[in-house]
Amino acid sequence: MKFKITLISLILFVSAITIKKGFQLKYPDYFPKPNYDLKKNILTKETIALGRTLFYDPILSKNNTISCASCHSSFNAFAHTDHSLSHGIDDLIGTRNAPALMNLAWQKLFMWDGAINHLDMQALAPINHPKEMGESINHIIDKLNKTAPYPTLFKKAFRDTIITGEKILKALSQFQLCLISAESKYDQVKRNKKKFNDQENRGYILFKTNCNFCHTEPLFSNFTFANNGLAIDTTLNDFGRWQVTKKSEDSLMFKIPSLRNLSYTYPYMHDGRFNTINQVINHYIKGIKQSANLAPELKKGILLSSNEKTDLIAFLLTLNDSAFVFNRNFAYPK
Amino acid sequence: MIFIGFIFSAFYLFKPKPITLSFLPYFGKDSLVINKNYFSEIIRDSVSIQSLRFYLSDINLIKNGRKIYQVKNQHNLIDISKKSQVKLFTKSELEFDSIQFDIGVDSLSQVSGAMGGDLDPMKGMYWSWQSGYINFKLEGKSNICNTRNHVFQFHIGGYIFPYNTIQHIILPVQNKTNINIKLNIKKLLSQIDLKNVNQVMSPCKKSVEISKQFANFFSIE
Repeated sequence: MKFKITLISLILFVSAITIKKGFQLKYPDYFPKPNYDLKKNILTKETIALGRTLFYDPILSKNNTISCASCHSSFNAFAHTDHSLSHGIDDLIGTRNAPALMNLAWQKLFMWDGAINHLDMQALAPINHPKEMGESINHIIDKLNKTAPYPTLFKKAFRDTIITGEKILKALSQFQLCLISAESKYDQVKRNKKKFNDQENRGYILFKTNCNFCHTEPLFSNFTFANNGLAIDTTLNDFGRWQVTKKSEDSLMFKIPSLRNLSYTYPYMHDGRFNTINQVINHYIKGIKQSANLAPELKKGILLSSNEKTDLIAFLLTLNDSAFVFNRNFAYPK
Repeated sequence: MIFIGFIFSAFYLFKPKPITLSFLPYFGKDSLVINKNYFSEIIRDSVSIQSLRFYLSDINLIKNGRKIYQVKNQHNLIDISKKSQVKLFTKSELEFDSIQFDIGVDSLSQVSGAMGGDLDPMKGMYWSWQSGYINFKLEGKSNICNTRNHVFQFHIGGYIFPYNTIQHIILPVQNKTNINIKLNIKKLLSQIDLKNVNQVMSPCKKSVEISKQFANFFSIE
């Protein structure tokens, strides 16, 4: 009897700990501390699974045709290749390139202009946007309430069947927080499991002198905003960060994207104007448009010989993470 | 059983009654009826109100300039067509000479991600295209507005300088258990040039200007 009580209390104690601890995000020790407050949204397998199901379900759009994954495909490191601008319901085209989704726990502001202040609230923007999903959170709640297996999935994740905006957003965040890319060759080298070849080594040195200031290791972005000398596209007249802050010094500033998984995430820049890495590097060598708030590091352009350019690209390709891109846990749930 | 009931009622007898804050909308001297037409002398036209909702937060009872009771981390969405009362459960009978509260959502909560209850984005008080809560929403109609269906819409929000719209209100009130706070919509609208300013729905200069009028909007009945 005594043994039974001890055993039961031990089981209860252990399960209490595991429930409280939930699911742990795994990331390398050379990554900084995540910015996302994981205590406010404790990860569980059930909630992550719900978030994944929602992420891949077009039910989140007005006419049930567009899901998050429509523009954030796992095979493209959750970007959208071949589409310079995002493609929404009724074949409507948005004004910006769908960014890759990875290592989101380390980011503070979202969207190319930083209009969104928290990962949880990010999903509301494409959901409401008339050219993206054109839907309202309240209508989504109505639809989910009537659609199996959602009431069950919500019950599993949150222990009750009442579906709210908060729960939908937190579940979507949980899935997206899991999208950690840290298995590239660069990461293997960091962990002393692989070595760069000579060309990659030369490229790494060039990277550190010319790119690291904005595309800071190990996430390959400092996630701030910069004017990188792109001439304005007058068909879009997108002034980036200025549209949020209305400060002239923020004009033409855009969020600095991570360079991880570059090969999977073309086209590049906020309007998808460049199709190849080569075009991007050429822009930094000879395409910079001078202006008052141009990133100071780019005032003179980046000086690279054609050999150096090849070396730099060789290094950048070590940031591709095929284990991330082809991770079955992140793909369409079966 | 009777004994337990007796203990419970005794417990309730000694517990002070909660203080009830009620928000009562008025149009001038008339108590407001939703969608009813009122005449405003200042704009010389009729006005009707469709909805009025706002966040009430950081409620404090004050005695001689000192906070004696505080409701922390709670945002109440006041909606004159649904919920226009908030109860304060104090531990003992309190003597106070004024009440203080904020209209809007504080800047920390603005950046804290998805929240439930009255702060759930499903309540329709959240801007999706640029993160932030709408602190105060007033919608109605007036023939003076040259808009579709003559509507005016004031969605007042913004938490980042210089477009910070959260407002701090202090009202004198003597130890009452029922505090009736009058919302004078006529007075608020008389401060707005309704003919030219009728759609304010983003953090901007006009939102800040309108939020500064809230101090004249609330009074003790």
